[in-house]
Amino acid sequence: MADALALIDANNFYASCEQAFDPALIGRPVVVLSNNDGCVVSRSSEARRLGIGMGKPYFQIAEQLARHGVVVRSSNYALYGDMSQRLMSSLEPFVAELEVYSIDEAFARLPRPQHGELRSWATELRSRIRHNLGIPIAIGLAPSKVLAKLANRVAKGDRRHAGVFDLGLEPSHDPWLEQTPVEELWGVGRQLNRWCRLRGIANARQLRDMASGELRAKAGVVGLRLQLELQGVSCLPLEEGPSAKRETCVSRSFSRTIADELELRQAVASYVVRAAEKLRRQRQRSGRLTVFARTSPFSPGFYSQAASAALPLASNDTAVLLQAALPLVALIYKPQKRFAKAGVLLQELQGEEQLQQHLLAPLSDEQQQRRETLLHNIDQLNRRYGSGTVQWAACGLQPSWTMRRGQLSRAATTRLGDLPTAWAR
Amino acid sequence: MAAGFPSPADDYIDVGIDLNEVLIRHPSSTFFLRVSGDSMVEAGIQDGDLLVVDRSLEARPGQVVVAVLDGAFTLKRLARHRGRLRLEAANSAYPPLELHQCGDVQIWGVAIHVIHPLGRHG
Repeated sequence: MADALALIDANNFYASCEQAFDPALIGRPVVVLSNNDGCVVSRSSEARRLGIGMGKPYFQIAEQLARHGVVVRSSNYALYGDMSQRLMSSLEPFVAELEVYSIDEAFARLPRPQHGELRSWATELRSRIRHNLGIPIAIGLAPSKVLAKLANRVAKGDRRHAGVFDLGLEPSHDPWLEQTPVEELWGVGRQLNRWCRLRGIANARQLRDMASGELRAKAGVVGLRLQLELQGVSCLPLEEGPSAKRETCVSRSFSRTIADELELRQAVASYVVRAAEKLRRQRQRSGRLTVFARTSPFSPGFYSQAASAALPLASNDTAVLLQAALPLVALIYKPQKRFAKAGVLLQELQGEEQLQQHLLAPLSDEQQQRRETLLHNIDQLNRRYGSGTVQWAACGLQPSWTMRRGQLSRAATTRLGDLPTAWAR
Repeated sequence: MAAGFPSPADDYIDVGIDLNEVLIRHPSSTFFLRVSGDSMVEAGIQDGDLLVVDRSLEARPGQVVVAVLDGAFTLKRLARHRGRLRLEAANSAYPPLELHQCGDVQIWGVAIHVIHPLGRHG
């Protein structure tokens, strides 16, 4: 029998992590807020049942949350990142191939046994993860990735499936495809969705059965693959291992708005410093850099602007990147605007080894060596003694605009001073 | 890098002793907790000790476990007493808890090691 593809993901991952390390939260409604305590990004099942909406701005629903006794947490990325790694490495032994797709979901390939049945495998995996990590997961099984994603939605959507749904064992796919709107399919963007709707194609079954020539004319090979996957022909391979990143982004919301150009420069500078550190860790250099900033979309006179510059020579040197980034701030800054968020995007990334000596390189080999040693030492110091031990003057001292995370839980799995307490009383 | 003959010791280079390997069998399901209180002193677990907890193990009688009791992690020894399971302290000042009498107790993990500093150093 052909292999089965699975989409495995955690239910309410962030809220589940919070509950796993704070036993006082078990059985209580919990919501987790996005960066800068902006809006709700994760709800425990208890909070969901209270009708707390996803993506709702915190300031709009703070009162409702308080009334229902909902526990509110800021995003604790140290905890979620560590739990994500634990989750993925726990899945590994259960499958033949694993593609980590995001912080809380993975595609997997596994052989379908002779009798075809995979429910007991899925149920065992589910209870093992629940037991070992305290994280509930849902599993969708199907002959292709697109269908596995669809099966996962079914698994989560109806309590009767108990978190597991195997489309591969269904006598007909039709009813399940018919209840899935086109826009909820994996790989369907806004444009394709609008095009489908104009042709009266509303659900996945109709998309699967439409004339492929027409689809090809609109969406090319991508559209054809989507259709084949819907027909149960697997044509999207699993991507194993993290693919080399092609861009890297550092952006944050400010704890308060910034109207001053110098402060905006300092914020952007500090993101460049972070992004350059990331690049050096990934052993990459960047050939292009974009700086962007925006005001709050919730206040009148929304403003958003970006500016970009090519680097003469790909680099991961903080000083070189700062030199390129800071003049861009003057281009996007606008007086009287109250900026709420800014960021830096490093693009056209290439491996360090790919770098060819530029004929007009500003530094000699020996100077270059010395720069790299210096940067390496700065990274070491910041890693060992905490980020910000060695700072770049462009970032300013003691900035007051850093991210607000008013209700942050502890880094319970990664920091010795933050460990949970085992009471011996 | 200097060229030359390989060192005869190259084949015998060891990576050193890694305490993670000694103390942790299932890295993805092993967590550290900090002990607070003296109810487990007779099991060699003291206030302020570092506890290594493996969540993948099935708790068996005789093992020290972390249980969720009244919304807190609580350290006890799982024991069978007259055919029934109960949670015992390792300190005679604390009474045992009969599991069938306290409604909702969940075993969170099994404590497999305790790290205890011997006096002040450094």
